[in-house]
Amino acid sequence: MTFRRFAMLGLFAPMVVTAQTGSVQGRVTDAANGQPLANAQVRIEGTVFGTLSDASGAFAVPNVPPGRRTIVARRIGYGEERRTVDVSSGAPVTVDIAMTVSATTLGEVVVTGVATPTARRELPNSVETVSGEAVRDAPAVSAIDQALQGKIAGALISENSGQPGGGVSIRLRGTNSILGGAEPLYVVDGVIIDNNAEALVSLGANATRGGAALSNRLADLDPADVERIEVLKGAAAAALYGSRANNGVIQIFTRRGRAGEARITASTEVSMGETPEKYQLVSIPTAGVGDSIGLPGRGIRPGQPLERFDIQDQIFRTAYSTTQRLSLAGGATNTTYYLAGSWQDEAGIVRNNDYERLNFRGTVTQQIRPNVDLTVHGNIIRSKADFITEGEQTVGVLTSIIFTPTGFNPNFDTLTGRYPYNPILGPNPLEILNRYEAPEELARFVGGAEGTWTPLPSLTLKYLVGIDDYRREVRFLQPPLVNSATFTGSIQNPVQFSRQFNNDLTANHIWSFSDRVRLNTGAGFRFTSNSNEVLRAAASDLPPEQTLVGGAIQSASQERSEVRTMGLFIEERLSFNERLFLTGGLNFEASSAFGEDSRWQSFPRVGVSWVVGEEPFLQEGGLGSVFTSLRLRAAYGQTGGQPPGAYFRFANFANTSFSGRAGLVESTIRGNPELKPERQREWEIGLDAGWWRERLLLEATYYDKRTTDLVLNVPLPASSGALRQFQNIGVLTNKGAEFTLSTINVARPSFTWRSRLTYAANRNRIERLTASSDTIIVGYLNAVVEGQPIGVFYGGVYQRDASGNRIHRDTTIGGNLYRNMPRRLRDSVVVGGVVTSRPFANRIIGDPNPDFTMALLNTVELPRGIELSVLLDGRFGNDVANFTRRITEFFGADKNIEKEIRGDTVPFAYARNPVGRINIYEEYIEDGSFVKLREVALSIPISASLVRRIGANGATIRLAGRNLHTWTDYTGLDPEVNLFSESTVARGVDFATLPLPRTFSAGLNINF
Amino acid sequence: MMPKVVTSAGARRLVRLCTAAVLATTIASCDLDLENPNAPTEEEIVSSRDGIIAVAVGMQGQFAQSIDDWLVTSSLATDEWGTRSIALISYISLFTGDNFDVAYDVVLQPYARTYQVVNSANIVLEGVQTLTLGVGLEAGLGAVANLFKAMALGFAYQQYEELAVDVDPAGAPTVPRAQVLDSVIVLLERARAAYGSVSAADLTEFNARALGPGINLANTVDAMLARYYLFDGRYAEAITAADRVDQGVLSELRYPAPTVNPVRNLAFGLNYVGGLLRGFARQAQPGDARVQYWVDTLAATQAANPPDTLLKPLKKYSGVNEPFPLYFPDEMKLIKAEALARQGGAANFAAAAALVNEVRTDNVAQVDEPTAALAPLLPTELDTEAELLDAIAYERRYELYEQGLRWEDTRRLGTARTTTPTFEFLPLPRQECVTNPVACG
Repeated sequence: MTFRRFAMLGLFAPMVVTAQTGSVQGRVTDAANGQPLANAQVRIEGTVFGTLSDASGAFAVPNVPPGRRTIVARRIGYGEERRTVDVSSGAPVTVDIAMTVSATTLGEVVVTGVATPTARRELPNSVETVSGEAVRDAPAVSAIDQALQGKIAGALISENSGQPGGGVSIRLRGTNSILGGAEPLYVVDGVIIDNNAEALVSLGANATRGGAALSNRLADLDPADVERIEVLKGAAAAALYGSRANNGVIQIFTRRGRAGEARITASTEVSMGETPEKYQLVSIPTAGVGDSIGLPGRGIRPGQPLERFDIQDQIFRTAYSTTQRLSLAGGATNTTYYLAGSWQDEAGIVRNNDYERLNFRGTVTQQIRPNVDLTVHGNIIRSKADFITEGEQTVGVLTSIIFTPTGFNPNFDTLTGRYPYNPILGPNPLEILNRYEAPEELARFVGGAEGTWTPLPSLTLKYLVGIDDYRREVRFLQPPLVNSATFTGSIQNPVQFSRQFNNDLTANHIWSFSDRVRLNTGAGFRFTSNSNEVLRAAASDLPPEQTLVGGAIQSASQERSEVRTMGLFIEERLSFNERLFLTGGLNFEASSAFGEDSRWQSFPRVGVSWVVGEEPFLQEGGLGSVFTSLRLRAAYGQTGGQPPGAYFRFANFANTSFSGRAGLVESTIRGNPELKPERQREWEIGLDAGWWRERLLLEATYYDKRTTDLVLNVPLPASSGALRQFQNIGVLTNKGAEFTLSTINVARPSFTWRSRLTYAANRNRIERLTASSDTIIVGYLNAVVEGQPIGVFYGGVYQRDASGNRIHRDTTIGGNLYRNMPRRLRDSVVVGGVVTSRPFANRIIGDPNPDFTMALLNTVELPRGIELSVLLDGRFGNDVANFTRRITEFFGADKNIEKEIRGDTVPFAYARNPVGRINIYEEYIEDGSFVKLREVALSIPISASLVRRIGANGATIRLAGRNLHTWTDYTGLDPEVNLFSESTVARGVDFATLPLPRTFSAGLNINF
Repeated sequence: MMPKVVTSAGARRLVRLCTAAVLATTIASCDLDLENPNAPTEEEIVSSRDGIIAVAVGMQGQFAQSIDDWLVTSSLATDEWGTRSIALISYISLFTGDNFDVAYDVVLQPYARTYQVVNSANIVLEGVQTLTLGVGLEAGLGAVANLFKAMALGFAYQQYEELAVDVDPAGAPTVPRAQVLDSVIVLLERARAAYGSVSAADLTEFNARALGPGINLANTVDAMLARYYLFDGRYAEAITAADRVDQGVLSELRYPAPTVNPVRNLAFGLNYVGGLLRGFARQAQPGDARVQYWVDTLAATQAANPPDTLLKPLKKYSGVNEPFPLYFPDEMKLIKAEALARQGGAANFAAAAALVNEVRTDNVAQVDEPTAALAPLLPTELDTEAELLDAIAYERRYELYEQGLRWEDTRRLGTARTTTPTFEFLPLPRQECVTNPVACG
């Protein structure tokens, strides 16, 4: 199945080239039990001819030039098999191939960059692949990136919020930019797609602090359509993607039809989600200082009886979601098709937080001449998300809970006919939940057309044009009076139009010098355009029940941008004895965002792969008895990152209004005509080794990435008339190791148990900023500091004595004595031997980057096709800034406050602490290491006799769960979430952020 | 179902069509010299009449939106304003003199804003030189650009001891402030020469499109000449220039919606500053009506930082769209009085005394400016230079409150000064010293 795409591309498709040809046919089976193996790739080595086995294991390759040929059969989960046959014109040669279970992946074919599909054994770099089954079968996910969690070594995948509809961040081998984005480039069937996460209206954190959306656009694609995903993690692999590939590339290939009877698949899934935890709030009916100060005007004194209200049950809910899918795939001799539709109705774990998506995909391939194929594919998506406000802002739903003493009764007041205003923040969370509206609507088309022409057995030409076009609209309504008694209402309705266009022409040629030496050449031209427009309409002073832009005060604005890139690339791969492979490539690329003086950039790559295990000297020597396979590889490559703005190379003028007249003012950010891409160079070395008849396979890689020319906002002399300029100044590095250990623990005809353990460790370091003393603060505490990992937490610390214990003292403030108070450290500024001031000290207090990540997948196949898989996903050594606890304690709502009320601690230890404990951020940095029971899935085929009664060929019931349990010392709801969503630098901050739901699902899958 | 194999003619057509489409899209789209669609380009602006006019309007807007940056330093370093409890640390530091840092934005902004205005003025002046705009527009744009460049440099002159005299893309060298004052005067004289050469009819387009409504160009140029001649000790010229200013005209920066008065934003929107009770209100002479003009003395005392300072809310500029005067006509009387007093001689002293008393006894203003409604001082109280300067210092303090002049007044009026500023001058901003090799000595 993995190779179906290539068959459809025509690369291995049967074709008439000369009259004097023969053919090869046969059957592929499992050596252990003789069962037929479908989707095995059978290829005639040294040519572009090949095919896939069908459901009965049968295959036929026509038009094979006569002569002695090597037939290679490959399939995921099995070892590669080779047979040598003599092909003559006329009678077909029959070859039956029995394949043995193996953990090896060396024979797998992958598409690296844009050149040619290649056997993994030939590649100098590691390429991670995830099968469509692994994506499709991930329980209760709505987005592809969610389904990848725990499945890729070296990828840090975080779901930033528990709201449905996206919001996933992926870091491949660390963070590679400071001001630019850190998310990988996504390519679907060769079409570059947008994965924008910019907020049109900030609902997750205050706009000035983040501007990151609660969703990212990869959420639009239906995971069920995925055939295979390939992950290029760094420059060594992704050089051919040039200046957009610094963060790696995720290539997604979608399903295609195959010649034969139409296959109809219908599936349905019902799931139930709930919050894994709730905030632990003060519940004892006695007032504390948080109540007396936070609920003024009620004459509450500490120690008095006080009724408590915990409204979390009115905010959280058990969420029921459904997904329905129907697909139709098939084809005749020259035509294949895949059509699929899905409808997903997902409910969030907070009331009125919903997501709906309608997705339709169609792919048709037509062979218009024996050696010309055309494929057209389109994906139409419509989605609607009803978001809720969350995170650091006064109108966040959960924010309101943590800021408010539980002595406040937020329930609807029948006497006044209103929800009472929150005494601290103003808006009432229940009213926000019921009366705010924040729908995001999306209409998107992703599609492309590609043509493949194979004029010679050794030459393939391919042209591809792709487009990703969408319209996204957010309407954020805050009705009058909700925020305060004087609030007149506000509505914002931005609309975004985004278009990605790419256009690739590639040629691939195989040149066999002899049986032993082969040269593959890939070359091409690429053009891409990425344009974006945002129209904003807004109004305030709204009349009652006004839900669209209208009202007394209205405003509008418009922004546009476009970035174009154009490149030429060539790649050569030389094979010796099919065991040693040398690769070299060059991508020569230009972008409209680069200054005219730096327009053209080149990105080279080189590498070597040596399948040393197949060398005779090793097989004859002692090592052959140790390893059953061994490959060594090394690669070097360069990629680029686009500058963070499309027009930073210009002196831009902004419009301004003066005395009712329109004027122009030159930007204080000066244009930089020398602006160029951020440039990454990476080298990696690795080995793939197999033991125990390929039932134990280790893939190990060490990489070293250095990204230079990082664009920073550099200060200029104020007397130049400007203040700043974007310049290529900064440097950072990522170094790390990745290991994947795949084992087949038990392989019996009726019982198979496979395990896959991945481990990855990355060390990020900021090597250079504009000035070594620079500290760039992003968000709250995340800082960029030379010599430190990106995004370290930087803030106030406790004053400690010589042995490191915190200093506590009785302190008098405003005439009141407070016992046993901690103190915040101060620095001394000494000028000329005299201490001139003692400002509060800030120190590096934590690091949100994990020391390492690990995941363990166990899959057990039982008799009757029953399959159980369990995925554990862990992250270790990362810190989380628990702003939730900071606020909950200060405002007197945290469960800890009960100690204070009962007198187990001194008064004011937590609530309303008068010495600024709230600014001693060290207190709130917690170890965020966790292991999650990410996926558990049990699939049970329904007996064939029962299925046939309804006219179906097969049916499977699936019971599954996602994020069922988290093992962690973190005291908040979920250590994985992030207030600042997809922010590059601001990571690991939890501030009333919605936790990821614990989900149970049940599904039924029927094939006709 | 599609036909199994498209006819070869059909296929050829399709291939040709596709090839054509490939070539067409590829060639058409390969232009990488994209312009920024959100704004006109630099070339479009500097090469067109409308572009230059728009930059002239933008320059006035930049100046109008920078007033708070020039005011806040002068008012906090002296005794005009105090800091409210939520003010920035840099503001509090400027007010108290403690924990000051040259990296503060409050040090950078007056400098940066100055050269942003100067940069815009230079674009306009360059356009006047290179483009054919017609006499009226050339005269008007030349005058307004020189005026605003001079006014911006004039504010900076009052804040920094050393500073740049013009912009330079690589960073301009710093020179002693006296040189900058000379340059300010030259620019003002050029402005006066420019508009003086054309008729009112010629200026129609300029007045209708380029000059901010509310700004009286001729009077403002003369008022500024009077102000800076006085600072430069050119007393006779100061008197002549002041005499030319029409007492019945107010020249002001206006802030119609959607713009807002930045001083209002500072004092009422951000709640950073308030009127200093201890200094300004309590040291006024009994019955001085100007205190209520500036500060809301009837309001409750405001929370301040440090807590022992007492503040009242400001009153002037409490309206979002309230205009800001470029100068008050009464400043001309006080300039003349000071110039006369410094020139010496009994006749001059008498004339100066008369001017001081005019300001003191004023109880009906021709335009929107404060009126003291105080009793006149006796001739015997105003018959020496020292007495006159003392009186003028007092009048300037209450007449010209929060006009950005107080800091310079405390330097110029020497023994007559009534307060000691926390800083004599602003240091040069750190950003300038770090990035500009020819600045900061």
